[in-house]
Amino acid sequence: MLKRLGIGLLTAVVGLLAWSAEPLVVIGPWSGAEAEPFEAVLQAFTEKTGIPVDYRVMRAEDLAAVLPAQFGAGLTPGDLIFTAWGWWVKEFAEHMVDVSGEIAGIPFTTDPLIVDGRAVGVPYVTWVKPGFWYRKSFFEAHGLTPPTTWEEFIALLEKIEAIPGIEKAAASGDGVGWPLSDMTEHFIITFGGLNMHLGLIEGTIKWESPEVRAIFENYLIPFLAHASDPIEWTAALDMWWDGKYGIYFMGNWLTGMVEDPNDLGVFTLPGCQAVVGGTDYMFIPKYSKRVDDALALLRYLVSVEGVALRVSKGGKLSMRADVGPEHYPPAEAALAQAVGALSIAPDMDDTIGGDWQLAFWDQLKLLWVKPEALDDVLRALDAAYPKKG
Amino acid sequence: MRRFKARWREWGAALVFLGPGLVLLWLFVIWPALQTLSLSLQDRTGFVGLTNFRHLFSLPAIVNPQRFLRQEPPWGALFHNLVWVFIHLPITVGLGLVLAVVYARVRRWWVGLARGALFLGIVTPMIVGGVIIRYLFEGHSGIIPQLLGTLGLGRPWSSGWMAFPETALLGLILGSIWLWTGFSMILHSAGLSAIDPELFEAAKIDGASTWAEFRYITVPLLRPVTFVVAVMTFLWELKIFDIVYVATMGGPGKASTVLALEMYLATFRSLDPYRGAAIATLITAFSLPLGYWFATRRLRR
Repeated sequence: MLKRLGIGLLTAVVGLLAWSAEPLVVIGPWSGAEAEPFEAVLQAFTEKTGIPVDYRVMRAEDLAAVLPAQFGAGLTPGDLIFTAWGWWVKEFAEHMVDVSGEIAGIPFTTDPLIVDGRAVGVPYVTWVKPGFWYRKSFFEAHGLTPPTTWEEFIALLEKIEAIPGIEKAAASGDGVGWPLSDMTEHFIITFGGLNMHLGLIEGTIKWESPEVRAIFENYLIPFLAHASDPIEWTAALDMWWDGKYGIYFMGNWLTGMVEDPNDLGVFTLPGCQAVVGGTDYMFIPKYSKRVDDALALLRYLVSVEGVALRVSKGGKLSMRADVGPEHYPPAEAALAQAVGALSIAPDMDDTIGGDWQLAFWDQLKLLWVKPEALDDVLRALDAAYPKKG
Repeated sequence: MRRFKARWREWGAALVFLGPGLVLLWLFVIWPALQTLSLSLQDRTGFVGLTNFRHLFSLPAIVNPQRFLRQEPPWGALFHNLVWVFIHLPITVGLGLVLAVVYARVRRWWVGLARGALFLGIVTPMIVGGVIIRYLFEGHSGIIPQLLGTLGLGRPWSSGWMAFPETALLGLILGSIWLWTGFSMILHSAGLSAIDPELFEAAKIDGASTWAEFRYITVPLLRPVTFVVAVMTFLWELKIFDIVYVATMGGPGKASTVLALEMYLATFRSLDPYRGAAIATLITAFSLPLGYWFATRRLRR
């Protein structure tokens, strides 16, 4: 009897130990060099609290495929999950823990996702898509300067293409398609203004309208003559850094992915008054068995300490008004100063989401290699826009 | 009484052997299939009859007859699946047959290697296959565009095939031939080993050429195997998904999309399970008659 009791006790202790050593599962979209700064923050959290964390990579597309079935079964693959798709989090809000109490009083610069009075998605640091990046050393070596007018911009592209070894002036990043949409949004905001950008998001302006078409015809398509075919965006980054291309449009997470961030310069299209900015939202599925630990991690991540640590690693900007540029590395500080005077516009495809987001990416891939398909592309974008009601 | 007992024992045995299988079949195949069918006849408001199907056939992403064979893709997912069948099926089935015969006849050191390389295609996960195809046809590092570039061909042949509407679908189909020909070759090899060698010896004595042996002995005797391979290949092509998902996501501009991908996107991106279920039902409707015919034909034999 005693022997059995002993074995039972031992099993319980071992089980308890195994359970306590089970790490908190965090799922996010960042991998490789882009994930390293975030993993450093998780490491700091573990050192502070003793709660081990297992970081796993899943893109928003993968989460969208996996989570509905998991939620339907009352399960979740992660305790704290990140996605840039705010629209998706809102759609599945009933499956998320309300974290209103954890974020009360925090001076966010980007709003949390609130559904029926419940805070279901919390912004975690921010990014901007400021414009075209270049290597200062490359520009200096070839006597190039950032343009101040559209004509100068086109002249710059031509000058870059005249440099031996250059394939095209600009690299076009690809993947599922978002780098192309980022670039397109930058053209729309620059030449159509912020109101056109917002009108396209809200559906009050049509893609086939003459003013939108004119931006494509007069600016984007002439630019495409100097841009590469779509190349997987991390491969394009390497090729641009190695000097196959002169400029590269990308978000500021790029600063955390290059060998020497101090060699980076960036310019917007001449006349640009706003840049696209956004955030990744974190949420806790209510099916997590470690909600308390997940909340502890969430509290740490949004704390002054957690945010300051993350932004100090580069590639992201603060989403707290009380954590400022003093915490940024030099490249980010310069960027924050450069975009400080500009308005921040919401990311169009992340805001609309659903079918339309995919159509936008897919149609732009087509436009990049077949500019003559412009009218088909614009028609498809209008057709894919979500029907009201 | 004895007859009753024997009959009871027979039924009991049938129940014991078939029961678990039937329960699993009901739980994991028939019940979900019926649920899918039911979902395809509904929308958020309730029963809508065939409305979802009518809507499907009005979508250019599913059928685009105005462009089909008149302009480059997109032609719609349904036509793209048919193009898969039209190109991929004869090549993989025919190539598998020919290679099985060649490998059976040739006794050289490289035969094992070549057979192994082909076999590798069917053990490679399709998702990995999609990645391989993507890089095989990539503009900067892909061997196919590079090769065609050195032959003097211009865009899109010497650029990234997956980026262009003219080449994306063709690239996926050609790239996947390696992934499936091994299946055809193995089944044909198994069929070949079952043919009585005396038939070939007798043909040789009668002075038959190699071609005549192939034409009048190998092909007719392998016909049942070829038939099985063709049916399995057809079904594989109808439900093709992972390769397309990884390599092109159906693009550019829907130029390489297929029915299974549209089903996935409708369900998980548009969050419209009713449309997704309608596409799933459509795929089943296309494959069911062939499957039924195949099954009953085999049963009759």
